[in-house]
Amino acid sequence: MRNTLSILCVTLAFGLALYFGGIAAGPYWQLVALNLAMWIALTQSWSLFSGLTGYVSLGHVVAYGLGAYTMVILFREWPVWVLIPIGGAVAGLFALIVALPVLRVRGPYFVILTFGLAELVKFVLLAVETALGQSSRLMFGAPGAQTLLAWMVALAALATLLRHFVGVSVFGRGLIAIREDETAAETIGIPISRYKALAFALSAVIPGMVGAVMALRSTYFEVLQVFSPTISFTIVTMAIIGGAGDARGPVLGALFLVALSEILRGVSPQLYLIFLGISLIGFVLFAPNGLTGLLRRKTS
Amino acid sequence: MLDSLLSAQLLFAAAVLGSIYALVGLGLNLVYGTMRLLNIAHGDILMIGAFSAYWWFTLTGLSPLIALPLVAAIGAGLGLALYFGLFRRQLAQGLPPAAIEARSLLLFFGVSVVLQNVVAFFFSSTPRAYRHLDEVVRIGDLAMTGNRIAALVVAVTLLAGMLVFLNRSLFGIEIRALIQHREAARVVGINVDRVQMVAIALGFAAAAIAGALLSMTEQTSPFMGFRFTIAAFVVIILGGLGNIRGGIIAGMLLAVIEIYAVTIFSAEARSILIYGAFVAALLIRPQGLIGFGKRG
Amino acid sequence: MKRRHLLGLAATAAMTLAALPAAAADPVRIGYTMARTGLFAAAAPSQEQAYTLWQEQVNARGGLNVAGEMRPVEFVSYDDESDPAKSAQLYERLITSDNVDLLIAPWGTPHHLNLAGVAETYGFPVVGNTAASVAIREVAPGNIWFPTSAIPDRIGPELAAMLSEAGVGSVSIIANVLPFGQENLGFLTPALEAAGIEIRMSENYPPDISDMTPLITQIKAAGADAVIALTYPADAFLYAGQARELGVEAKLQFMLIGPTIDAFHKAFGPAADGIVTLAHWSPEQAAWPRAKPFFDAYVARWGQAPDYLDSALAYMSLEILEQAVAKAGLDRDALREAIATGTFDTINGEVRFDGVQNAVTPTAFVQRQGDKMQLVWPAAIATAPLTMR
Repeated sequence: MRNTLSILCVTLAFGLALYFGGIAAGPYWQLVALNLAMWIALTQSWSLFSGLTGYVSLGHVVAYGLGAYTMVILFREWPVWVLIPIGGAVAGLFALIVALPVLRVRGPYFVILTFGLAELVKFVLLAVETALGQSSRLMFGAPGAQTLLAWMVALAALATLLRHFVGVSVFGRGLIAIREDETAAETIGIPISRYKALAFALSAVIPGMVGAVMALRSTYFEVLQVFSPTISFTIVTMAIIGGAGDARGPVLGALFLVALSEILRGVSPQLYLIFLGISLIGFVLFAPNGLTGLLRRKTS
Repeated sequence: MLDSLLSAQLLFAAAVLGSIYALVGLGLNLVYGTMRLLNIAHGDILMIGAFSAYWWFTLTGLSPLIALPLVAAIGAGLGLALYFGLFRRQLAQGLPPAAIEARSLLLFFGVSVVLQNVVAFFFSSTPRAYRHLDEVVRIGDLAMTGNRIAALVVAVTLLAGMLVFLNRSLFGIEIRALIQHREAARVVGINVDRVQMVAIALGFAAAAIAGALLSMTEQTSPFMGFRFTIAAFVVIILGGLGNIRGGIIAGMLLAVIEIYAVTIFSAEARSILIYGAFVAALLIRPQGLIGFGKRG
Repeated sequence: MKRRHLLGLAATAAMTLAALPAAAADPVRIGYTMARTGLFAAAAPSQEQAYTLWQEQVNARGGLNVAGEMRPVEFVSYDDESDPAKSAQLYERLITSDNVDLLIAPWGTPHHLNLAGVAETYGFPVVGNTAASVAIREVAPGNIWFPTSAIPDRIGPELAAMLSEAGVGSVSIIANVLPFGQENLGFLTPALEAAGIEIRMSENYPPDISDMTPLITQIKAAGADAVIALTYPADAFLYAGQARELGVEAKLQFMLIGPTIDAFHKAFGPAADGIVTLAHWSPEQAAWPRAKPFFDAYVARWGQAPDYLDSALAYMSLEILEQAVAKAGLDRDALREAIATGTFDTINGEVRFDGVQNAVTPTAFVQRQGDKMQLVWPAAIATAPLTMR
């Protein structure tokens, strides 16, 4: 109980700090804060499924993209605050539909399958947009940056709490049992198909809402841009850097990578990606269990 | 329609594309099969091969085909450098395959970012191209550009050579043993470290050569690799991970879809057909389309 | 000996002193973002190299004339990773924390559209360059201007008119599904129909296509007078190579983006002869005295020809900015006024803005003829007649 309270307090405090800190630090840093909140929300959601079950998804951009697409096509019809949850619902529903067949596939086959599925959805939507005569879309009159930051911070907090509470629940322990040994989990009576499908769908909902908010942020929509595989890769990178185990990992991973890019970008705009790549390699070699692994080693 | 389906032109196009896909997939398969490393920098090794061939031709004016051994050496050298610099110790720790896969994914992601941006920094990301063996040979209705014939011949020779090496030579059999059963291979006294070294060197050399071949027909740029990384993964997953022969068949299959399915349906459906076939294949056979057990 | 030494020292000191005022002038800081990585990375150098060339030229001739005062030019730039939202974010950083004096444009339409919002918010005048979409007309005028004339709703009718005049009766079209290809297709199709030109086939293809043999087989079977390939750079190489292999025998081939890139000429040489493409600048136009020197300087600096569309546009946008700054200085309101109302002398001839658009330069096409890229349409600026096979 006390643990629950402290998690709530920490999340709230961090969220408020991010929101007010972002606003106080000026327009550029406000957008950096928005990015940070976005990556936290995405990585927490990814971790809810992939971290707990061990099924590494390299296609999480689909949820993000479907949310963004929902927002863009209905932007003129319905108010924005309705469309954000709808974006989440569309993404969750899609995940639920594909869950049963997709989750039969395991290991590296699953990794590449999710990637392939994301590309498939991307090219189907590209064909749909072409058929509609809409190769790119513009949106005018989106809410301002402060509103978007508030929403995104709320989503990041929501994703963090969801990840935490699922992790410590019976459901979450079932998912961890699946990660350790799927066959054994089944024999002790865990409904593995249902659990996996539920976690998969749940992990798509918030990314869908994030995508919807980000569509408002960029005001320009092009399928190739929004469904870019880089987004999936970045999520996985942040999750591994942060380290698995609990809800701290994704926050630390996102914080680390966003901070590192900002620092390197300022220090050396020409070489920053090279330094970023080298830092990543060094990180894996010297902190193989992620930042939470480092923390744990320090405390124990 | 039937006329065009049976034309030698489509067959030639499918053969060229398929042999390149197979060669790119083969390299990835060797590295994954022997070490469980998910090399998402594979396409970037191909890019390095393409740049090497480009600079060779631009500086010396000589055919990049002469430079293939050099290009292969550059690829192999890069593979060995990464092996000793990054992976050897990781692999010796006896981690479970899932941990190795996750770590190697991240390490190669870093390698990929570094390679792309180092090349972009020194040579800029302007596309490069050169003209070599570009006369068109006509046999009846069939028209073939010299450099595409060369690419086909080199790729098929390498694939055949590699199959013979893996099936007939003692060393090849050791590589296959490691792919099939890592622990057993160690027990029967195979020098795992040496086999891994050779596998990564061969895998990277194959990618670099594929890049050199492509540089004759396509533009070369620092960010060209990702497309081929994807193609390579699709190929080896379809063929069954670690299944060398399956991967070669899958490479050809992918090209057949790209050429013939597009002819039957439409060019617009190309990517949907390719990824659709890939996803469908995995859903029907979760261990790869061609992987009937793990035969080399 | 010692004396001579001292004299030399004194002379050096005097020279240093004399040079001081110029060196002490604060540099003018100019900010931009560039797609150095990601989807557009291959396209961006043609623009950034023109920027760098301009900077070196300006500094070599003593600096940028800021309402009479000569000041050196310094660039502050970031990689926007081909992400329009990130680009906009970095432009805000350039304005608010790097405090740049001037802004110049990123690469591509989506980036420009996002930049337009930033320019509007801060009231910061920017001369754009490499945006080409009818969407730029939806941008509120006032803080951003587009010197380009390569806009799809004009390209379609002009292309139809050129083909019609050349006696082309039928065409085959293939189009990349990416925005610029589709937008052009949308305006081109009705224009061709209106001109009475028969469309024998019209097919789309995705951007990651790896082989065009099936498409080109169809084109050959259709046997139209002309082929219109609405390409992006990567597939332009694929189309040109395979069309040549299969021997497409159309009288005329038009390709949208690609043939203006230096590497395209290097890849195909004489085989690219006769290909028509989109550009409104050529160094061959004697009426534009600045055109040839720019071409020569670019080749000398970079060892390759400039992109006839993007490099030229990038350089033009800087010439416009330079001339406006010479007149109005760095005050944003004065600068805005100077850009909006001025007439500028560029490598592409005279440029004047009407709203956000270039009111002078016509939509035009160029054709590769031997070693030269000749303007072949419209007649008013043509440097050579269109040649057909």
